[in-house]
Amino acid sequence: MSDVIKVGVVAYDPKVVTIWEGIKEYFTAHSIAMDFVLFSNYDAQCDALLDGWIDIAWNTNLAYVKIYRRTGGNCGVLAMRDVDVGFTSKVIAGAKTGIQTLRDLKGKRVAFGSRDSGQAAILPRYFLKQNGIDPSQDITAIRFDLDVGKHGDTGTSEVEVLNAVINGEADAGAVGDQYWARALTENLLDNAVRAVWTSPEYCHCNFTIREKTDERRFAAWTNALLAMDYNKPAERKILEMEGLKRWVRPQLDGYRALFEAVDELRFFN
Amino acid sequence: MNYDSSTSVDARELSAADGLLILITRALDKLKPGDTLEILSDNASTQHDLPAWSRLNAHRWLGTVAQNGRWRHRIEKGSVLRVLTDKELDWGNRAPIKDGRFDTRNWLLGRAGEIQRTAQPSDGFAPRGASVEEGSPEFEFDVLERNRAWSHGAAEFYEQATAGHWDASRDIPWRELHTLDEDLERAICQLMTFLAENEFSALYVPAKWIARIHPHFAETVLFLATQVRDEARHIEVFVKRALANGGGLQFSSASTQASLKTLMDQQDFVQASFMLSVLGEGTFLDLLRYIETHAPDQVTREIARRTRIDETRHVHFALDHIRSVLQSDAGLKDSLYRAIANRASILSGMKGLNPLVEESLVILAAGGLSPDRLSSATKARIQLYETMHENRVRRLTAIGFSNREAEEVSELHTPNFM
Repeated sequence: MSDVIKVGVVAYDPKVVTIWEGIKEYFTAHSIAMDFVLFSNYDAQCDALLDGWIDIAWNTNLAYVKIYRRTGGNCGVLAMRDVDVGFTSKVIAGAKTGIQTLRDLKGKRVAFGSRDSGQAAILPRYFLKQNGIDPSQDITAIRFDLDVGKHGDTGTSEVEVLNAVINGEADAGAVGDQYWARALTENLLDNAVRAVWTSPEYCHCNFTIREKTDERRFAAWTNALLAMDYNKPAERKILEMEGLKRWVRPQLDGYRALFEAVDELRFFN
Repeated sequence: MNYDSSTSVDARELSAADGLLILITRALDKLKPGDTLEILSDNASTQHDLPAWSRLNAHRWLGTVAQNGRWRHRIEKGSVLRVLTDKELDWGNRAPIKDGRFDTRNWLLGRAGEIQRTAQPSDGFAPRGASVEEGSPEFEFDVLERNRAWSHGAAEFYEQATAGHWDASRDIPWRELHTLDEDLERAICQLMTFLAENEFSALYVPAKWIARIHPHFAETVLFLATQVRDEARHIEVFVKRALANGGGLQFSSASTQASLKTLMDQQDFVQASFMLSVLGEGTFLDLLRYIETHAPDQVTREIARRTRIDETRHVHFALDHIRSVLQSDAGLKDSLYRAIANRASILSGMKGLNPLVEESLVILAAGGLSPDRLSSATKARIQLYETMHENRVRRLTAIGFSNREAEEVSELHTPNFM
């Protein structure tokens, strides 16, 4: 095995190359040989990690759960973004629909994002069911299956969910709070839609490795990553593009709900 | 509003999409990392919106309590800087405004008045005194030294310039033009052609330096911008005079072009300013006075008078600038001398002023080609050259040259006047 640590990254957007060239440069400056390998979808990246083509996979929560299952729980996690902790999904509703609680969703048209989006489809459906709303019976589900394979990274399906609620094609919808906060800041709502429910917190992306016992082998890489500083201009540029303020150590409790959700949906069957 | 380590804002019905985030952001700006902000709200959706916003902006969400139909949210300010700078901002300096007038000389307030010895390339286009974020790009300005680029007088000359602008279309008594003797009109047209080409160099040279002087030395840049504006007006008015009375633009000589090109080719701001404004425009003052004195018509006279007033300002600015440069570094006098000598050697093939221009000066003073007046007019032209030399020497000694040095530099000056 070469000394160069190979990190797999799904190219959901051209900026991914800019981000990872920046990260690679940062690691080079810290005397750590690292390269990145682009994948067009998470399934291919998961296979590459399991086959040993890459050492680390920059995974969505769904991809992590998949690796976890396929390694029988032997995989490890090195780090995640600050924003990957405490992630939530929001149920949003048209301002004129009168929907104020989850109970009000019964009989209504509810929009969801791509079927492989943790934040805009899998987890919202799971949480709704937990709260007594069966998505397959109690509501009319509208799906926006866009960019399937990229696990909702592109955000296009969440844009469609929001637009559907704004223009009345749907009464309500589910989006991740990252997109929701952006919509608030960028004034995309036009007072036509508001959040009515927040899911329990969960975790999102992480750097997954094949074997937990290898975490020490990557310690230098992980420590250098965690040392990136938002208050330093060059590092700030990279962190801003990747949408975080700092990298943090993993908090694996935050994946429990997704494990249950994929089992219930038989997602990987 | 005064904030301490724990602060409260009442947002009433405001929603996150409707300005609440600005209210919160500005309140957090006044707190230190670790301080707590309490937000009172009557809007139910804030309990869903604010936790997401806090998380993505690296503030700690401390929770919500519903109370009497209102929501009480708490956020702990995070440690991330919104703008990456540790420089303090000025606040509370009030400018002295007299009789409703805020004079540029009085704008040296607080950090806006701190003229750095060397300007920072990464301060870029930020106005002096602003707090510039780290990571801003480095600009390629190459005049960065205070003792090269800044002088105390610049603000005053800038004030004079902005007050003295005039309009070449309207402020010249164009309706007073009348047909002149053809030889005389031709001479005036030749002089106007010559003046216009010289003024093009007087526009392009400062324009080139504006782009190279660091904006930290704003007074200099602003003054040079007025100089560029002045020269634009001069080009306009000289060309208009050549075209106005049935004549037309005349010859531009290779020697004049060669002389002016050496001004554009200067690679040092102080040397360029010295050559263009102290020597060149200085010499032009006497030329314009001569034209004003001998002009046969009110229009040409008024043009010469108005342009001379502008040029006087340029000369005084440059004298003040070069004097302060030489005061801070007397050794620069040698480099100015060398630059002048170098220019003279480049122009050594130049026999003298464009003969067409020289003849036109005589014809102007003679009022035409009448033999009985040409003799005294020739003497007037010779006297003009002597006056130009004397005044150059006077200006050079005023900024620190010895009499002998001044004589030598003046003799080396281009016969093209500019």
